[in-house]
Amino acid sequence: MPKLIIDDIPVEVAPGTSVLEAARSVGITIPHFCYHPALAIAAACRLCAVKLLDGPVKGIQMSCSLPAQDGMVVSTTDPEALRMRQLVIEWLMMNHPHDCPVCDEGGECLLQDFTIAGGHSRRRYQGKKRTFQNQYLGETIHHEMNRCIECYRCVRFYQDYAGGTDFGVTGSAGRVYFGRFQEGALESPFSGNLVDICPTGVFTDKTGRFRARYWDYEFAPSVCQHCSVGCNTAPQSFQRETIKIVGRRNDQVNGWFICDRARFDKGYLNDPQRPREARLDGATCGYDVAIDAAAKEIDKFVAQNGAESLAFVGSSRLSLEGMTLLAQLARTVDGSRLCYFGNEEELAGSVAAARLLHEKNSAYLGDIEKAECIALYALDLMEEGPMLALAVRKAFLAGAQIYLVDGDPIPARQKLPFTFTAVATLDEVPFEGGGRGVVIAGAGKKDADLLDQLASGGAKLVMLQPGPNAMAGGLLTLEFGGQAFSELASAGKIKGVVCFEADLPDGLIADIEILACADWRTSAAAAKAPVFLPTTTWVESDGTAINYEGRAQRFQRTRVPGLPLRGLDPKYYGSTADAVAEHPPRLHRREVPGGAERDAWRVMAQLIERLGGRTIEEPLTGRWSKLKDLDPEGEGVRVFNLLQGDPRTES
Amino acid sequence: MIPESLKKTLEARVASAITAREAAVDVMKELQAHYGWLTDEAVGEAASLLGLSPLQVEELATFYEMIYRRPVGKKVIHVCDSISCWCVDCEGIIEHLKKKLGVGLGETTADGMFTLLPCCCMGMCGDGPAMSVGDVPYGKLTPELVDEILEMERQKA
Repeated sequence: MPKLIIDDIPVEVAPGTSVLEAARSVGITIPHFCYHPALAIAAACRLCAVKLLDGPVKGIQMSCSLPAQDGMVVSTTDPEALRMRQLVIEWLMMNHPHDCPVCDEGGECLLQDFTIAGGHSRRRYQGKKRTFQNQYLGETIHHEMNRCIECYRCVRFYQDYAGGTDFGVTGSAGRVYFGRFQEGALESPFSGNLVDICPTGVFTDKTGRFRARYWDYEFAPSVCQHCSVGCNTAPQSFQRETIKIVGRRNDQVNGWFICDRARFDKGYLNDPQRPREARLDGATCGYDVAIDAAAKEIDKFVAQNGAESLAFVGSSRLSLEGMTLLAQLARTVDGSRLCYFGNEEELAGSVAAARLLHEKNSAYLGDIEKAECIALYALDLMEEGPMLALAVRKAFLAGAQIYLVDGDPIPARQKLPFTFTAVATLDEVPFEGGGRGVVIAGAGKKDADLLDQLASGGAKLVMLQPGPNAMAGGLLTLEFGGQAFSELASAGKIKGVVCFEADLPDGLIADIEILACADWRTSAAAAKAPVFLPTTTWVESDGTAINYEGRAQRFQRTRVPGLPLRGLDPKYYGSTADAVAEHPPRLHRREVPGGAERDAWRVMAQLIERLGGRTIEEPLTGRWSKLKDLDPEGEGVRVFNLLQGDPRTES
Repeated sequence: MIPESLKKTLEARVASAITAREAAVDVMKELQAHYGWLTDEAVGEAASLLGLSPLQVEELATFYEMIYRRPVGKKVIHVCDSISCWCVDCEGIIEHLKKKLGVGLGETTADGMFTLLPCCCMGMCGDGPAMSVGDVPYGKLTPELVDEILEMERQKA
């Protein structure tokens, strides 16, 4: 363990740690552009100069590529080092266009921060600047090569970390250019991370250009709700519109990066057509009126048909709070049925995962990255958990053997960023005594014997889920005995349903009465329901999600619900005849236009009350109450230890 | 399109390498000899021979100054403008070359004979000012010597 002194602070670090990282560990930030914790060292920007006053090496050194050694005495504030950094910044800024006012990175730009921090504020260079032609890189990323300072972060991420081959660095010396062979959309499904990783404004988010500055944004720690990996994100919103979504570091779940679906698939959040008002028989009404009507519908239906022909249907889009309250709602209407899953296959897979996984055999990101042997069992990894593909690639680069077990072939729509051997059955995968092996199974159909075989193999398990919060659905199905909607519907056991953000399979709701529907998007069920209750999406609500490895993570509300200011419906202006686009409403009002949505769990709590149940202030009760104070900025908590004991009994 | 015999030769060269990338320069040089410069088509061919993407070949091709990604004349003149040659007035030599050939740096003479390119050191610092014409290095240049060399290279072509 090397011991060194940095700015008079004694530091002890693990062997192989760089001086820059050692300084970070005691809270000293040495300016840097090319250093990134997730990437290999490049020592390309020459900015992180420090002076070594004593020890094995002396003088000015680049701290990012200098391993910490015993006896080093480092000064980050030595006048010589300061001057060096100032001159390096001046040199890096020589060709920069100084176009911060029209650059989307302005306000969140490492180059701005370190230029000012380095003390370079007066331009001395009078010559011509080198300029480049930008390339079209697709509809999501804007390219502005003139701002480049040649830190190589983008190409190191794109080629080395993410395994892309269509973007790189060409030229040499002053002509170094980062781009593609020919113009065209970037192929890698992780290309959006160029936006986060570029320290300047070369790569900016095209989907949110020229909308707002960093200090305008409302943002909060959130969790992506596109697949069951549960990557940490920070949606940035302005005037009730989610403008950008950026990755948020969580070393247990997604590291530093997120996939492009998490970053760019956000149109539905801002859609002006999203249902935003409570409706009763097709006409807009107050929210409480609609809830009263829904309660009445339920009472009437139960009186006519009996509670056992009524089902309360949710889905993996619900937060854990919504799911627990759905179970309580089903209990309030005694005898009614509870569904978290649309079909039997999904239910079987999620319940099996909830039953089989525990603290010791459930693999997390680190287990995958350090694995020696990985079996991908019948799944389309790029569809079901893209970020895990990067973890598998990391293991692959470290020498792990990857096998694609073709028991139930699913066509991979996108190329995987690693090479693998295709085998027919799991038996052909040589797990060496179970040491550091990982099986990644998809959300598809799996029979119980096979799952038990997986679990008994000694390898750690990843069971990807069909939806973002399906793991919670599986755990609660075990606890409250839920069924699959398709099973109930096709057997004719139910005549009526109440939907909460449910995705009902087509063709099954023709003969079933939809009593009420609560959702944040339109669906066939919503169109059929006499009562419609708009709910908030994950960016507009606080909640908890449980990912594929049973890790509960809290996401926070990142903006208030309501219509984005841009593109209000004409009905919000004083006159319906002459709408003025992009103007605020001209009526006296207190509430946010289109902001009537409520969190699904609160709607359920109100329904429970109307149906004669108790008043609920706190959705997480019983065994789940331990998750009440979950830190949204923490690494999340695995729930297996919280749920000790028989899952079918409430503690 | 490259002839089958050249393709076979290059495939054998790639096969004998431990990693495909180490054969990249040889493959690019052979293709350049065939086409006269490394055309876009040649980049694609090199990529499929080496099992890389066209971009990854382009990364290498644009790094090396002896690989030409634009059409060049019959003979390429690389004239050194680096520090040692600068100390012995390479600037005068470059000006003379420009005047004599009637082209700027990076341009090709009207007869398609010479392309004039600056280069950053060819390791002839002791014999500066230096240049190379085709593949032949020349040192201790004077304007008169430059004229002689150009005439001789013209005769040889």
